[in-house]
Amino acid sequence: MAVNWLARLAAAAPAPVFTCIGPGIQAAVERLCLSPALDRVATPRAAAILLVAGEIPDHAQEALDRVHDQVPHPRQTFRWDGTGDPEPALRDLWRDLAAGGDTETDRRPDAPPNDWCGVGPHGQGGKGMMGGTPYGRPMAMTADDPRDGLALDAYTARLGPFVPMLPPGLVLEVTLQGDVIVSAEVRAAPFAQPDDASAPDFCAARMLRLVGLPRDADRVARGARLRAITALRAIPEGLGRHDGQDARGRLAGWLAGERGPEAAPALATLLPGLEWSEAMLVINSFSPATLAHVAISKEDA
Amino acid sequence: MTLVLVSAASIVLALGLSFLLMAPRHDAGTSAPMAAPFLGGGTPDTHAWQRFHFRAYTMTLVFIAFEMEMMFMYPWAVVFVEEGVKALAEMGMFLGILSVGILYGWREGVFRWQ
Repeated sequence: MAVNWLARLAAAAPAPVFTCIGPGIQAAVERLCLSPALDRVATPRAAAILLVAGEIPDHAQEALDRVHDQVPHPRQTFRWDGTGDPEPALRDLWRDLAAGGDTETDRRPDAPPNDWCGVGPHGQGGKGMMGGTPYGRPMAMTADDPRDGLALDAYTARLGPFVPMLPPGLVLEVTLQGDVIVSAEVRAAPFAQPDDASAPDFCAARMLRLVGLPRDADRVARGARLRAITALRAIPEGLGRHDGQDARGRLAGWLAGERGPEAAPALATLLPGLEWSEAMLVINSFSPATLAHVAISKEDA
Repeated sequence: MTLVLVSAASIVLALGLSFLLMAPRHDAGTSAPMAAPFLGGGTPDTHAWQRFHFRAYTMTLVFIAFEMEMMFMYPWAVVFVEEGVKALAEMGMFLGILSVGILYGWREGVFRWQ
Protein backbone atom coordinates (compact mmCIF):
# COMPACT_ATOMS: atom_id res chain seq x y z
CA MET A 1 0.00 0.00 0.00
CA ALA A 2 2.45 2.58 1.13
CA VAL A 3 4.90 1.27 -1.43
CA ASN A 4 2.32 1.56 -4.19
CA TRP A 5 1.53 5.11 -3.18
CA LEU A 6 5.23 6.05 -3.16
CA ALA A 7 5.78 4.28 -6.47
CA ARG A 8 2.92 6.21 -8.04
CA LEU A 9 4.39 9.44 -6.71
CA ALA A 10 7.81 8.55 -8.11
CA ALA A 11 6.34 7.55 -11.47
CA ALA A 12 4.79 11.02 -11.81
CA ALA A 13 8.29 12.50 -12.06
CA PRO A 14 9.94 12.75 -15.50
CA ALA A 15 11.52 9.43 -16.52
CA PRO A 16 15.34 9.62 -16.11
CA VAL A 17 16.71 8.51 -19.47
CA PHE A 18 20.31 8.15 -20.60
CA THR A 19 20.56 8.27 -24.38
CA CYS A 20 22.96 6.27 -26.54
CA ILE A 21 22.54 7.73 -30.00
CA GLY A 22 23.41 5.81 -33.16
CA PRO A 23 23.87 7.04 -36.75
CA GLY A 24 21.26 9.28 -38.34
CA ILE A 25 18.97 9.74 -35.35
CA GLN A 26 20.51 12.54 -33.24
CA ALA A 27 17.96 15.25 -34.10
CA ALA A 28 15.02 12.88 -33.54
CA VAL A 29 16.32 11.93 -30.07
CA GLU A 30 16.95 15.56 -29.13
CA ARG A 31 13.43 16.43 -30.26
CA LEU A 32 12.04 13.51 -28.21
CA CYS A 33 13.94 14.62 -25.09
CA LEU A 34 12.25 18.05 -25.23
CA SER A 35 9.19 16.29 -23.81
CA PRO A 36 8.47 17.23 -20.17
CA ALA A 37 7.79 13.53 -19.47
CA LEU A 38 11.47 12.68 -20.06
CA ASP A 39 14.54 13.84 -18.19
CA ARG A 40 17.70 13.39 -20.25
CA VAL A 41 20.32 12.80 -17.55
CA ALA A 42 24.05 13.40 -17.92
CA THR A 43 25.34 10.07 -16.58
CA PRO A 44 23.96 6.53 -16.52
CA ARG A 45 24.24 6.64 -12.72
CA ALA A 46 21.28 9.05 -12.63
CA ALA A 47 19.23 7.05 -15.13
CA ALA A 48 16.74 4.19 -14.93
CA ILE A 49 16.14 3.72 -18.63
CA LEU A 50 18.86 3.31 -21.26
CA LEU A 51 17.48 4.65 -24.52
CA VAL A 52 19.37 3.04 -27.41
CA ALA A 53 18.40 4.96 -30.53
CA GLY A 54 19.19 3.67 -34.01
CA GLU A 55 21.53 0.88 -35.05
CA ILE A 56 24.67 1.00 -32.91
CA PRO A 57 27.63 -0.10 -35.09
CA ASP A 58 29.58 -3.20 -34.02
CA HIS A 59 32.69 -1.25 -33.01
CA ALA A 60 30.65 0.70 -30.43
CA GLN A 61 28.85 -2.36 -29.03
CA GLU A 62 31.33 -2.97 -26.21
CA ALA A 63 31.09 0.67 -25.15
CA LEU A 64 27.30 0.38 -25.14
CA ASP A 65 27.53 -2.68 -22.87
CA ARG A 66 29.81 -0.72 -20.54
CA VAL A 67 27.33 2.16 -20.31
CA HIS A 68 24.47 -0.33 -19.84
CA ASP A 69 26.15 -1.89 -16.80
CA GLN A 70 26.57 1.52 -15.17
CA VAL A 71 22.82 2.16 -14.96
CA PRO A 72 21.77 1.27 -11.41
CA HIS A 73 19.19 -1.43 -10.71
CA PRO A 74 16.33 -1.70 -11.51
CA ARG A 75 17.10 -0.78 -15.11
CA GLN A 76 15.68 -1.42 -18.55
CA THR A 77 16.95 -0.87 -22.07
CA PHE A 78 14.60 0.72 -24.58
CA ARG A 79 15.43 0.44 -28.25
CA TRP A 80 14.02 3.00 -30.67
CA ASP A 81 14.46 3.10 -34.44
CA GLY A 82 13.24 6.68 -34.84
CA THR A 83 9.73 5.85 -36.03
CA GLY A 84 6.54 6.50 -34.10
CA ASP A 85 6.23 8.15 -30.71
CA PRO A 86 7.99 6.11 -28.00
CA GLU A 87 6.89 8.40 -25.17
CA PRO A 88 3.90 6.33 -23.91
CA ALA A 89 6.04 3.18 -23.91
CA LEU A 90 8.82 4.99 -22.03
CA ARG A 91 6.31 6.27 -19.47
CA ASP A 92 4.96 2.73 -18.91
CA LEU A 93 8.49 1.42 -18.53
CA TRP A 94 9.31 4.12 -15.98
CA ARG A 95 6.12 3.36 -14.03
CA ASP A 96 7.18 -0.31 -13.78
CA LEU A 97 10.73 0.62 -12.76
CA ALA A 98 9.54 3.09 -10.12
CA ALA A 99 7.48 0.29 -8.59
CA GLY A 100 10.63 -1.86 -8.45
CA GLY A 101 9.94 -3.83 -11.62
CA ASP A 102 12.22 -6.26 -13.45
CA THR A 103 15.84 -5.38 -13.99
CA GLU A 104 18.54 -6.43 -16.48
CA THR A 105 21.73 -8.23 -15.49
CA ASP A 106 25.26 -7.04 -16.31
CA ARG A 107 26.52 -7.64 -19.85
CA ARG A 108 30.21 -7.30 -18.97
CA PRO A 109 31.99 -9.80 -16.70
CA ASP A 110 32.10 -8.89 -13.02
CA ALA A 111 35.91 -8.68 -12.82
CA PRO A 112 38.35 -5.77 -12.49
CA PRO A 113 40.05 -4.71 -15.75
CA ASN A 114 43.40 -6.04 -14.49
CA ASP A 115 44.50 -8.23 -11.61
CA TRP A 116 45.12 -6.30 -8.44
CA CYS A 117 48.84 -7.09 -8.28
CA GLY A 118 51.64 -5.31 -6.50
CA VAL A 119 54.01 -5.63 -3.60
CA GLY A 120 52.75 -6.97 -0.29
CA PRO A 121 50.42 -9.72 0.90
CA HIS A 122 47.33 -8.05 -0.63
CA GLY A 123 49.08 -6.48 -3.61
CA GLN A 124 48.46 -3.14 -1.99
CA GLY A 125 51.64 -1.30 -2.81
CA GLY A 126 54.92 -0.69 -4.48
CA LYS A 127 57.17 2.33 -4.37
CA GLY A 128 55.36 5.27 -2.82
CA MET A 129 52.21 6.01 -4.73
CA MET A 130 53.48 4.31 -7.89
CA GLY A 131 52.91 0.66 -7.02
CA GLY A 132 50.19 -1.87 -7.45
CA THR A 133 47.04 -1.78 -9.51
CA PRO A 134 44.31 -0.78 -7.06
CA TYR A 135 40.88 -1.77 -8.40
CA GLY A 136 42.59 -3.21 -11.46
CA ARG A 137 44.09 0.01 -12.76
CA PRO A 138 47.74 1.05 -12.57
CA MET A 139 48.67 4.28 -10.80
CA ALA A 140 49.27 7.41 -12.85
CA MET A 141 52.87 8.32 -13.68
CA THR A 142 54.40 11.78 -13.96
CA ALA A 143 54.84 13.76 -17.17
CA ASP A 144 55.90 17.35 -17.87
CA ASP A 145 53.13 19.88 -17.36
CA PRO A 146 52.59 22.12 -20.39
CA ARG A 147 52.05 25.23 -18.25
CA ASP A 148 55.23 25.47 -16.22
CA GLY A 149 57.10 22.21 -16.68
CA LEU A 150 56.44 20.76 -13.22
CA ALA A 151 56.48 16.98 -13.47
CA LEU A 152 53.03 15.87 -12.35
CA ASP A 153 50.66 12.97 -12.98
CA ALA A 154 49.03 12.67 -16.39
CA TYR A 155 45.66 10.95 -16.87
CA THR A 156 44.95 9.30 -20.19
CA ALA A 157 41.47 8.06 -21.03
CA ARG A 158 39.28 7.40 -24.04
CA LEU A 159 36.02 9.36 -23.95
CA GLY A 160 33.03 8.30 -25.94
CA PRO A 161 31.24 7.24 -28.05
CA PHE A 162 28.31 8.02 -25.72
CA VAL A 163 29.49 11.07 -23.77
CA PRO A 164 26.53 13.47 -23.66
CA MET A 165 28.59 16.58 -24.39
CA LEU A 166 30.40 15.13 -27.42
CA PRO A 167 28.77 14.28 -30.76
CA PRO A 168 27.55 10.64 -30.66
CA GLY A 169 30.16 8.19 -31.93
CA LEU A 170 33.17 10.45 -31.42
CA VAL A 171 35.88 8.72 -29.38
CA LEU A 172 38.55 11.09 -28.11
CA GLU A 173 41.71 9.89 -26.43
CA VAL A 174 42.73 12.72 -24.13
CA THR A 175 45.62 13.16 -21.74
CA LEU A 176 44.81 15.50 -18.88
CA GLN A 177 46.90 17.12 -16.19
CA GLY A 178 44.49 18.40 -13.59
CA ASP A 179 41.82 19.88 -15.85
CA VAL A 180 44.18 20.95 -18.65
CA ILE A 181 44.23 18.91 -21.84
CA VAL A 182 47.80 17.99 -22.78
CA SER A 183 46.97 16.04 -25.91
CA ALA A 184 43.87 14.90 -27.76
CA GLU A 185 43.47 12.40 -30.54
CA VAL A 186 40.39 11.29 -32.47
CA ARG A 187 40.05 7.48 -32.17
CA ALA A 188 36.68 7.12 -33.91
CA ALA A 189 34.77 9.62 -36.02
CA PRO A 190 31.24 10.70 -35.01
CA PHE A 191 28.38 8.67 -36.49
CA ALA A 192 27.00 10.16 -39.69
CA GLN A 193 23.99 12.37 -38.98
CA PRO A 194 21.65 13.96 -41.53
CA ASP A 195 21.62 17.72 -41.91
CA ASP A 196 18.86 18.33 -39.34
CA ALA A 197 21.26 17.59 -36.45
CA SER A 198 23.32 20.61 -37.53
CA ALA A 199 20.36 23.01 -37.57
CA PRO A 200 21.29 26.31 -35.85
CA ASP A 201 18.58 25.89 -33.20
CA PHE A 202 19.82 22.47 -32.10
CA CYS A 203 23.48 23.52 -32.16
CA ALA A 204 22.68 26.58 -30.01
CA ALA A 205 20.58 24.44 -27.64
CA ARG A 206 23.50 22.03 -27.10
CA MET A 207 25.80 24.90 -26.19
CA LEU A 208 23.24 26.56 -23.89
CA ARG A 209 22.78 23.23 -22.09
CA LEU A 210 26.55 23.11 -21.64
CA VAL A 211 26.73 26.53 -20.00
CA GLY A 212 23.98 25.41 -17.59
CA LEU A 213 20.84 26.92 -19.10
CA PRO A 214 18.66 23.85 -19.87
CA ARG A 215 15.37 25.79 -19.91
CA ASP A 216 16.71 28.30 -22.42
CA ALA A 217 18.14 25.40 -24.41
CA ASP A 218 14.71 23.75 -24.62
CA ARG A 219 13.13 27.04 -25.67
CA VAL A 220 15.68 27.55 -28.44
CA ALA A 221 15.35 23.95 -29.66
CA ARG A 222 11.58 24.48 -29.92
CA GLY A 223 12.26 27.40 -32.24
CA ALA A 224 11.88 30.38 -29.90
CA ARG A 225 14.15 33.37 -30.47
CA LEU A 226 16.42 34.14 -27.55
CA ARG A 227 19.07 36.77 -27.03
CA ALA A 228 20.81 34.80 -24.25
CA ILE A 229 23.13 37.66 -23.37
CA THR A 230 24.11 36.00 -20.08
CA ALA A 231 24.97 32.79 -21.91
CA LEU A 232 27.18 34.69 -24.33
CA ARG A 233 28.96 36.34 -21.40
CA ALA A 234 29.52 32.92 -19.80
CA ILE A 235 31.76 31.93 -22.71
CA PRO A 236 35.23 33.49 -22.51
CA GLU A 237 36.04 35.91 -25.29
CA GLY A 238 38.50 34.70 -27.91
CA LEU A 239 37.98 31.03 -27.04
CA GLY A 240 38.49 28.64 -29.95
CA ARG A 241 39.06 31.40 -32.50
CA HIS A 242 38.81 30.17 -36.09
CA ASP A 243 38.40 32.30 -39.22
CA GLY A 244 38.08 35.45 -37.11
CA GLN A 245 35.16 34.07 -35.08
CA ASP A 246 35.37 32.70 -31.51
CA ALA A 247 33.03 30.25 -29.75
CA ARG A 248 30.93 33.11 -28.43
CA GLY A 249 30.57 34.53 -31.92
CA ARG A 250 29.52 31.17 -33.33
CA LEU A 251 26.84 30.79 -30.63
CA ALA A 252 25.59 34.32 -31.37
CA GLY A 253 25.43 33.36 -35.04
CA TRP A 254 23.37 30.25 -34.30
CA LEU A 255 21.02 32.23 -32.07
CA ALA A 256 20.53 34.62 -34.99
CA GLY A 257 19.65 31.64 -37.18
CA GLU A 258 22.88 31.49 -39.20
CA ARG A 259 24.62 28.23 -40.02
CA GLY A 260 28.10 27.96 -38.57
CA PRO A 261 31.38 27.53 -40.43
CA GLU A 262 31.76 24.43 -42.62
CA ALA A 263 35.41 23.89 -41.71
CA ALA A 264 37.19 23.59 -38.36
CA PRO A 265 40.77 22.98 -37.31
CA ALA A 266 41.67 19.40 -36.28
CA LEU A 267 40.75 18.65 -32.69
CA ALA A 268 44.31 17.44 -32.01
CA THR A 269 45.60 20.98 -32.61
CA LEU A 270 42.56 22.82 -31.23
CA LEU A 271 42.21 21.26 -27.78
CA PRO A 272 45.68 21.01 -26.14
CA GLY A 273 46.27 23.76 -23.59
CA LEU A 274 42.56 24.31 -22.94
CA GLU A 275 40.87 23.52 -19.67
CA TRP A 276 38.23 20.79 -19.77
CA SER A 277 35.20 23.11 -19.65
CA GLU A 278 36.68 25.37 -22.35
CA ALA A 279 37.45 22.37 -24.54
CA MET A 280 33.85 21.14 -24.33
CA LEU A 281 32.59 24.62 -25.27
CA VAL A 282 34.98 24.77 -28.23
CA ILE A 283 33.93 21.33 -29.52
CA ASN A 284 30.25 22.20 -29.21
CA SER A 285 30.75 25.52 -30.97
CA PHE A 286 31.11 23.53 -34.20
CA SER A 287 28.15 21.71 -35.71
CA PRO A 288 28.10 17.85 -35.77
CA ALA A 289 28.46 17.91 -39.56
CA THR A 290 31.60 20.07 -39.32
CA LEU A 291 33.08 17.87 -36.57
CA ALA A 292 32.37 14.69 -38.55
CA HIS A 293 34.05 16.25 -41.57
CA VAL A 294 37.11 17.24 -39.49
CA ALA A 295 37.40 13.82 -37.83
CA ILE A 296 37.04 11.86 -41.07
CA SER A 297 39.52 13.99 -43.01
CA LYS A 298 41.97 13.52 -40.14
CA GLU A 299 41.52 9.73 -40.22
CA ASP A 300 42.31 9.71 -43.95
CA ALA A 301 45.50 11.66 -43.44
CA MET B 1 9.04 4.47 32.67
CA THR B 2 6.88 6.52 30.27
CA LEU B 3 10.01 7.92 28.66
CA VAL B 4 11.39 4.44 28.08
CA LEU B 5 8.09 3.24 26.58
CA VAL B 6 7.76 6.27 24.29
CA SER B 7 11.34 6.02 23.02
CA ALA B 8 11.04 2.25 22.50
CA ALA B 9 7.78 2.74 20.62
CA SER B 10 9.25 5.45 18.41
CA ILE B 11 12.31 3.29 17.61
CA VAL B 12 10.05 0.37 16.67
CA LEU B 13 7.88 2.71 14.60
CA ALA B 14 10.89 4.19 12.75
CA LEU B 15 12.39 0.77 12.01
CA GLY B 16 9.03 -0.68 11.01
CA LEU B 17 8.24 2.21 8.66
CA SER B 18 11.63 2.03 6.99
CA PHE B 19 11.22 -1.72 6.35
CA LEU B 20 7.68 -1.16 5.10
CA LEU B 21 8.65 1.64 2.72
CA MET B 22 11.81 -0.05 1.48
CA ALA B 23 11.72 -0.75 -2.25
CA PRO B 24 12.44 -4.36 -3.27
CA ARG B 25 16.18 -4.81 -3.65
CA HIS B 26 17.63 -6.00 -6.93
CA ASP B 27 21.32 -5.45 -6.48
CA ALA B 28 23.58 -7.54 -4.35
CA GLY B 29 26.32 -4.96 -3.97
CA THR B 30 28.14 -3.13 -6.75
CA SER B 31 29.65 -5.13 -9.59
CA ALA B 32 33.00 -4.27 -11.21
CA PRO B 33 31.48 -2.85 -14.45
CA MET B 34 29.10 -0.69 -12.40
CA ALA B 35 31.92 0.73 -10.28
CA ALA B 36 33.99 1.74 -13.32
CA PRO B 37 34.34 5.49 -13.99
CA PHE B 38 31.86 6.90 -16.51
CA LEU B 39 33.63 7.89 -19.71
CA GLY B 40 30.72 7.42 -22.10
CA GLY B 41 31.79 3.87 -22.86
CA GLY B 42 35.51 4.66 -22.94
CA THR B 43 38.21 3.29 -20.66
CA PRO B 44 40.92 5.00 -18.61
CA ASP B 45 44.58 3.93 -18.71
CA THR B 46 45.28 4.62 -15.06
CA HIS B 47 43.62 4.91 -11.70
CA ALA B 48 42.04 8.30 -11.02
CA TRP B 49 44.08 8.72 -7.82
CA GLN B 50 46.76 11.17 -8.90
CA ARG B 51 48.80 14.11 -7.77
CA PHE B 52 48.25 17.51 -9.27
CA HIS B 53 49.72 20.87 -8.43
CA PHE B 54 47.95 23.08 -5.93
CA ARG B 55 49.22 26.19 -7.66
CA ALA B 56 48.19 28.68 -5.00
CA TYR B 57 50.63 27.28 -2.48
CA THR B 58 53.71 29.15 -3.74
CA MET B 59 51.72 32.38 -3.53
CA THR B 60 50.72 31.65 0.08
CA LEU B 61 54.36 30.85 0.85
CA VAL B 62 55.50 34.25 -0.41
CA PHE B 63 52.62 35.96 1.42
CA ILE B 64 53.63 34.35 4.71
CA ALA B 65 57.30 35.18 4.15
CA PHE B 66 56.61 38.90 3.70
CA GLU B 67 53.84 39.07 6.29
CA MET B 68 55.93 37.45 9.04
CA GLU B 69 58.76 39.80 8.17
CA MET B 70 56.58 42.85 8.72
CA MET B 71 54.97 41.39 11.85
CA PHE B 72 58.32 41.11 13.65
CA MET B 73 59.84 44.24 12.19
CA TYR B 74 57.48 46.65 13.97
CA PRO B 75 58.37 45.54 17.55
CA TRP B 76 61.99 45.19 16.44
CA ALA B 77 62.02 48.81 15.23
CA VAL B 78 60.85 49.93 18.70
CA VAL B 79 63.76 48.25 20.54
CA PHE B 80 66.39 48.64 17.83
CA VAL B 81 67.89 51.85 19.24
CA GLU B 82 68.28 50.33 22.74
CA GLU B 83 69.70 46.99 21.61
CA GLY B 84 71.94 48.22 18.80
CA VAL B 85 74.11 45.82 16.79
CA LYS B 86 72.77 42.73 18.56
CA ALA B 87 69.23 43.44 17.30
CA LEU B 88 70.55 44.11 13.79
CA ALA B 89 72.33 40.74 13.72
CA GLU B 90 69.26 38.91 15.00
CA MET B 91 67.00 40.49 12.39
CA GLY B 92 69.61 39.72 9.74
CA MET B 93 69.48 36.03 10.68
CA PHE B 94 65.68 36.05 10.66
CA LEU B 95 65.51 37.70 7.24
CA GLY B 96 68.12 35.25 5.98
CA ILE B 97 65.91 32.30 6.93
CA LEU B 98 62.83 33.94 5.37
CA SER B 99 64.67 34.71 2.16
CA VAL B 100 65.30 30.98 1.68
CA GLY B 101 61.53 30.62 1.39
CA ILE B 102 61.39 33.46 -1.10
CA LEU B 103 64.20 31.85 -3.13
CA TYR B 104 62.27 28.57 -3.12
CA GLY B 105 59.16 30.39 -4.35
CA TRP B 106 61.28 31.99 -7.04
CA ARG B 107 62.47 28.55 -8.15
CA GLU B 108 58.84 27.37 -8.29
CA GLY B 109 58.06 30.25 -10.64
CA VAL B 110 55.86 32.36 -8.37
CA PHE B 111 57.31 35.66 -9.61
CA ARG B 112 56.67 34.81 -13.25
CA TRP B 113 53.70 36.92 -14.32
CA GLN B 114 51.36 34.97 -16.60
